[in-house]
Amino acid sequence: MAYKPQYFPGSTHIAENRRKQLDPSHKLEKLRDVSDKDIVLLMGHRAPGSAYPSAHPPLSEQQEPNCPIRKMVTPTDGAKAGDRIRYIQFTDSMYNAPCHPYIRSYLESYRYRGMDPGTLSGRQIIECRERDLEKYAKELVGSELLDAARTGIRGCTVHGHSLRLDENGMMFDMLARFVFDKKAGAVKYVKNQVGEPLDSEVKMGKPMDDKWLKAHTTIYHSLVGVGTRDDPELIEYIQRIHSLRVKYGNCPME
Amino acid sequence: MTDTTFPQCRIAGERLLNPDTVERLLNKICSICGVRRMIINGPRLSTAHEMSRVIKVGNQEIQLEVHVGTIILELENRDVIPALKAVCDEIFTKFSYRLQEGRFMKTEASLVDYAKYGPDADKDMLGLSDPKSRSGPVILQGSR
Repeated sequence: MAYKPQYFPGSTHIAENRRKQLDPSHKLEKLRDVSDKDIVLLMGHRAPGSAYPSAHPPLSEQQEPNCPIRKMVTPTDGAKAGDRIRYIQFTDSMYNAPCHPYIRSYLESYRYRGMDPGTLSGRQIIECRERDLEKYAKELVGSELLDAARTGIRGCTVHGHSLRLDENGMMFDMLARFVFDKKAGAVKYVKNQVGEPLDSEVKMGKPMDDKWLKAHTTIYHSLVGVGTRDDPELIEYIQRIHSLRVKYGNCPME
Repeated sequence: MTDTTFPQCRIAGERLLNPDTVERLLNKICSICGVRRMIINGPRLSTAHEMSRVIKVGNQEIQLEVHVGTIILELENRDVIPALKAVCDEIFTKFSYRLQEGRFMKTEASLVDYAKYGPDADKDMLGLSDPKSRSGPVILQGSR
């Protein structure tokens, strides 16, 4: 029988959401239209419309060593062109953000090629060739993985994922990169991910309501949603892994 | 530092408070008789942040340097607590809050305080705020 990946254990809707996001055959729901220009502005690596600076000549113009791996792996567009490595970084609030660093890194590894995810407790960074990054970032920012209020695009000063939300339901951001427009009831970015003011603001649309966030989150949180202990299947799996690792480390004969 | 004889309270809302709410809450607290000292806590803001603005409490103008999350109060006696609760019930209508009674201010200088601020540090500020800070405490006129 062919192997069918199960992606994640668990019987709650949180586990189900994780499975959906991790499964590359599941198409991520699109929540907002973000233009290519907006993505470039948000990341702040180059001016919109300018050429991609390169780190090396295009692969077609340089002599490649006779390497079997290089023959096997098709280079991505960015690698072919010799683009620089650039990044985008996300901060996900613990208060029912739709995604979080661990799942982000896993799902990106399943879905995208030629990128390097970095996972930390409060932020997650993805590094890859510039034009690949823009393609991936557009999907990440426009899809259900990002909520306008509870997910931040932050290259630095990321502090805020574990803090209480403010009265408008926004995650704390010391640099005030994104602000809540009370009139429009929507969120807009007025600074790029490293806190440099933007010439034109980037509209991210309305934040999703609590009901949607509760239904779509991938975070176990006993106070604002479902706690890890409420998922017996997940606990059983974690305990099994823990037990096997301890036994293997201490008593391999068992 | 504080004298252990005075009761203390801490107000923590479910959300970080907007400056307008802080202004209303502090003004209400100021109108209560029997609040000796209070300190507002929260993550620090840059001066350009929309949540960092000048609020008017009593007759004083205060520049908010933090996004207010908790307010710690030192009271003259426990009789003030019901009035505090009434104020909080009035302000926190959209989300919940917690009013705790306990000990939240230091009663003695720690070794770290000694190392950081020296032997002559202002004892009124120790454990509340940085005694070396150039901006001292804001003194509000009581209603008594």
